[in-house]
Amino acid sequence: MVAQQFEPTGGYVDMVGEDAMSERRNAWIKFQDRMFVPLTTVPTIIASLLVFGIPLTFSLLLSFQGWTIDSALLAGRFVGLANYEDLFTDPLFRSSLLLTIGYTLSTVTLELLFGLGVALLLNSRVPFVRIFRTALIIPMMITPIVAALTWKLLLDPSYGLVNAILGTRTVWLGDPNLALIAVGIVNIWQNTPFVAILLLAGLQSLPSEPVEAAAVDGANSWQTFRHVTLPLLMPYVVVAVLLRTIFEFRSFENIWVMTGGGPANATKLLSVYTFEASFLSFDLTLAAASSWVMLFIVLIFCVFFILATKRKEIQ
Amino acid sequence: MSGFARGKRRKFTSYVLTYAGLVSLFLVFVFPLLWIVGISLKTREQIFTNPPVFFWIPTFENYVHVLTQSDFLASFGNSLVVTTASVTLSLLIGIPASYTFARFHFPGRGVAMITLLIMRMLPPVAILLPLFVLFKAVGLSNTRISVIIAYTTFSLPLIVWVMKDYFANLPKELEEAAYIDGASRMLAFRRIVLPLARPGIVTAAILSLLLAWNDFIFAAILTNNATRTSPVLLASYAGGETGTNWGAITASGVLVVIPVIIFSLIVQKHLVQGLSSGTVK
Repeated sequence: MVAQQFEPTGGYVDMVGEDAMSERRNAWIKFQDRMFVPLTTVPTIIASLLVFGIPLTFSLLLSFQGWTIDSALLAGRFVGLANYEDLFTDPLFRSSLLLTIGYTLSTVTLELLFGLGVALLLNSRVPFVRIFRTALIIPMMITPIVAALTWKLLLDPSYGLVNAILGTRTVWLGDPNLALIAVGIVNIWQNTPFVAILLLAGLQSLPSEPVEAAAVDGANSWQTFRHVTLPLLMPYVVVAVLLRTIFEFRSFENIWVMTGGGPANATKLLSVYTFEASFLSFDLTLAAASSWVMLFIVLIFCVFFILATKRKEIQ
Repeated sequence: MSGFARGKRRKFTSYVLTYAGLVSLFLVFVFPLLWIVGISLKTREQIFTNPPVFFWIPTFENYVHVLTQSDFLASFGNSLVVTTASVTLSLLIGIPASYTFARFHFPGRGVAMITLLIMRMLPPVAILLPLFVLFKAVGLSNTRISVIIAYTTFSLPLIVWVMKDYFANLPKELEEAAYIDGASRMLAFRRIVLPLARPGIVTAAILSLLLAWNDFIFAAILTNNATRTSPVLLASYAGGETGTNWGAITASGVLVVIPVIIFSLIVQKHLVQGLSSGTVK
């Protein structure tokens, strides 16, 4: 519409034909512009429906049905909440639910504490600090399976570096009391850098005036941190905690590779439980129910997340 | 004068403490990986010596062994194919959508953005089963196509959110000038916006590359021995006992991780911003 005000003028032989042509051209552009929003968004919507929408609806259906892999896709019969009843009366599921909650809480807490410490350290203005910032990125980016293998070898009872340094011969991953702690430490090792770098970005974006004002008022560095820096950093802390909670809750790779859920189910988190029900015992309806319990918990966190980050621009 | 000296000494102490802290960070977070690289450069006898060997003449025999193994090469090739395809597809689909989300207001936009954010949060293990069943039903199980479809879609939320922040920060005036000159939205997007958004596209591309390259769980279920990717092969080494083939395990691990490190370092400045996009402003 704006373009019409700028139609080409000048020494054309057939002005009428030219007008008609440019009108047709404008109509074509207008049509293209009208189609732009649908054309650019429809592929994303289709892909999301194919890989998320349809499978999730299907598994929601399955979780209320009796069904086996050999049945036709929609041939299951409705069994109400029977699958969920089976799930919640399975002691293994209940213990894995509790284990997951404990595991998530403790890993996220420790990642936050260490991450905050590391962020403060990396925020200090000393020469070469950049090299350390860069180095810290590596553990958080490497292939999780490689991280898990790395630690499986480091924790090896006979030839692992950890036992060599400690002078012990501890069977870290074979001891039901130690295995969960060991895989937890590996997860903390891999993800503390993410928290640290996120909080470092937060620290660097803070205004310097409040800190300077506190110094003028005679606050020591702990008081300044506790009463000035930390409150200002809170939005970043909240994001870090929620993101890590959501991602810690789904921990799978390191556990699968390091312990496979054992020994004696000591590291069987919900993700491992769901994976085994799906692909080892092929109890598909139970697995669907267990998947939806996981999804439900994550969705609750997503609501918190969206409320906490309040994206005004979306509305 | 003495106050000045004390101040200087205090500064020196805080320097020493800071560096002590930084070096211990390095020891905790990077040294374990260097140790693994070290193992990959040892002979079998050196690996299984107690106490461990700290100084030795590196050998590349483990790398030669791995690189002449068809298993490793096949899986590495599969990883390359799957990653390249899914990154290309997800950029082609995600970038235009992201631009639209950033620039145009239309009904359902808010819901779509939130849905994409939630998609990124959902645990893959909870989607894997129905995805597997449906891929099997349409005859795509055990193919690389199935993994490509999965990675492409899982990358979309990442790409849309990273790029949306980027597009939103570009000045609107450039496109408006193009519209006045008679350009269509598509033309302005392709000729004016995309070239300006190149740094953002690089970040988005690398983030989705890492997602595909690092994934284990989808490939573990959706591929077979012929189509499996490197992480699946690596995980199979860990099945039960790691045995005595540490040299091969560590060498393959290093080879798989080298591209990850290179690409992570390229986008290191934007990494956390990208991974937490849609959350912190």
